[in-house]
Amino acid sequence: MSRQKIIEALESNKNGERNMGEIYFKRFTFNQLAEHWAMIGTFMLLVISGMPLKFPDAWWSPVIINFLGGFAMRTQIHHAAGIGMVILGVYHVVYHVFVDKESLLDRKVWPTLKDAKDFWQTIMFYIGKAQAPKYGRYSWKEKFDYWGAFWGMVMLCVTGLIMLYPFQAMEVIPYAYVHLSTIVHTDEALLATLFIFIVHWWNVHYSPEVFPMSKAWLTGNLSEEQMKHEHPLEYEEVMRQMNEKGDKSFSR
Amino acid sequence: MSLSNKIYSLFKNKYTLILMVLLSIFIGVVSAQEDVSCYHCHTKVVNEFRNNIHYDKGFNCASCHGGAEKSNSSLISNTVMSGDFVGRPTRNNITGICSKCHVKETEDYKTSIHWDAIQKGHPEAATCTDCHGIHEIRAIKDPNSSSNHHNSPVTCAKCHSNNEMMSAWYYGIKADRFDTYKESFHWRALDRGYTLVATCADCHENHKTKSHTDPTSSTYPENIPKTCGKENCHEGVNFDAKVAGGLVHDKESLHTAELKWNKTGMDSNMKDYFLGPFDLAYWIAIFFKILTTTVIGFFTGMVILDFLSRLKIQRRF
Repeated sequence: MSRQKIIEALESNKNGERNMGEIYFKRFTFNQLAEHWAMIGTFMLLVISGMPLKFPDAWWSPVIINFLGGFAMRTQIHHAAGIGMVILGVYHVVYHVFVDKESLLDRKVWPTLKDAKDFWQTIMFYIGKAQAPKYGRYSWKEKFDYWGAFWGMVMLCVTGLIMLYPFQAMEVIPYAYVHLSTIVHTDEALLATLFIFIVHWWNVHYSPEVFPMSKAWLTGNLSEEQMKHEHPLEYEEVMRQMNEKGDKSFSR
Repeated sequence: MSLSNKIYSLFKNKYTLILMVLLSIFIGVVSAQEDVSCYHCHTKVVNEFRNNIHYDKGFNCASCHGGAEKSNSSLISNTVMSGDFVGRPTRNNITGICSKCHVKETEDYKTSIHWDAIQKGHPEAATCTDCHGIHEIRAIKDPNSSSNHHNSPVTCAKCHSNNEMMSAWYYGIKADRFDTYKESFHWRALDRGYTLVATCADCHENHKTKSHTDPTSSTYPENIPKTCGKENCHEGVNFDAKVAGGLVHDKESLHTAELKWNKTGMDSNMKDYFLGPFDLAYWIAIFFKILTTTVIGFFTGMVILDFLSRLKIQRRF
């Protein structure tokens, strides 16, 4: 629960109804934010420089390649950003497995049975037959986002490195798998791109709940309102812990 | 002063006269150098020939077609078609003309599967002129040359994308070689103006084109590492020759490779090594196609449902 502490208490609001005023909940550490920013940067570069090659006959393919400064430059951008993403992926695993002191099994990111139930309840909620599920620190959607990106990173980095060094790879694996890499890489990249542009951006940008965007990716914080609405179980848990610690100022 | 007087006085000017004399000499010299006799009838052909690298080097019609050398005047056009005049050579004879100068190239070409086919009585198989042009033979380095490095795919496709020609019983070659090449990084880069990539002739050799079942072919599996590792390509590559025995041109047909393989009659050891991974690779490729479609389809549906539920119209269901 160390990350879930309340980090900021601003001036009390003018009505004087509350002692503490607006409070914010720490959603992401700076390290996580920086990883996400690096991810955005490399991901967008990779999409822009990669998609013209996935769809070489599309009208926008030559437009984008010329915009990037020619085919050779496109390739260099894609390779450089790709290597950046590989480094990011390695850093992510090393940091969160070996540096982060929180026990691996205690992480809230593992899928649980509750997520399966929440998933079903979400569908029921969409068709109007149930209440919206109450989420803890991470909803099933967020967990899917994370593990989807994790899987995609592994696939894209491995196949990307195979294609970057095809002849070195062929010292170990047959040509068939180098050939397969091109299929897996582009399919997986298309999946990732569509998922980010449609599903992820709906959840964090376009959805009426957060439109124009959730600022958590910039500040790392959630407001109390957002917290109650999107992560009610976590909110209750944090409040309970604070009360146990005897900090009465947070009891409402 | 009237107009005729003006013109008259112009002719009296000695400088004008000298200029006109020089001009007529110039025209005379220039036209004497050209192949006037052939040009009179074969205008189009001679115009094409003027883009020919041989024209720049000082060759004329008679250099290839034979006949009298002194063919510069229309008066002796009869003598042009004398002596060793060949007129329009048959397709079997074209190499005979080119080999007069291009000895090495012809020797190489005569080891190719194209020449083999011509010898076996299929004269439509490629000969010199099919790749280099007939009268408009340009230098290889000329970007407009049909045998220029980056025009090679289109030039080969003239025949190799021709289904009728390729499916003839004595060839039985698939006509999708260019289409499958288009799937490769090589073509996609080439198509976007990056010319430092392999085209047909780089792997299959320009003159020594052979079947990939021929052990001396550059595309025979044993030789592929050497072919990929050519100077200025993937220099210094190092991999087991068996590894490279792949169907480079076949994208979707990984799984059905066996059928084609059986036709080629290759070493059975290589067949086992080669087919195993391709069979699995086919299913992995299918798995990813299904995964992409399912995940995107499902989650796009969820986004739409989410949107509808926020509009509070879920009761309509």
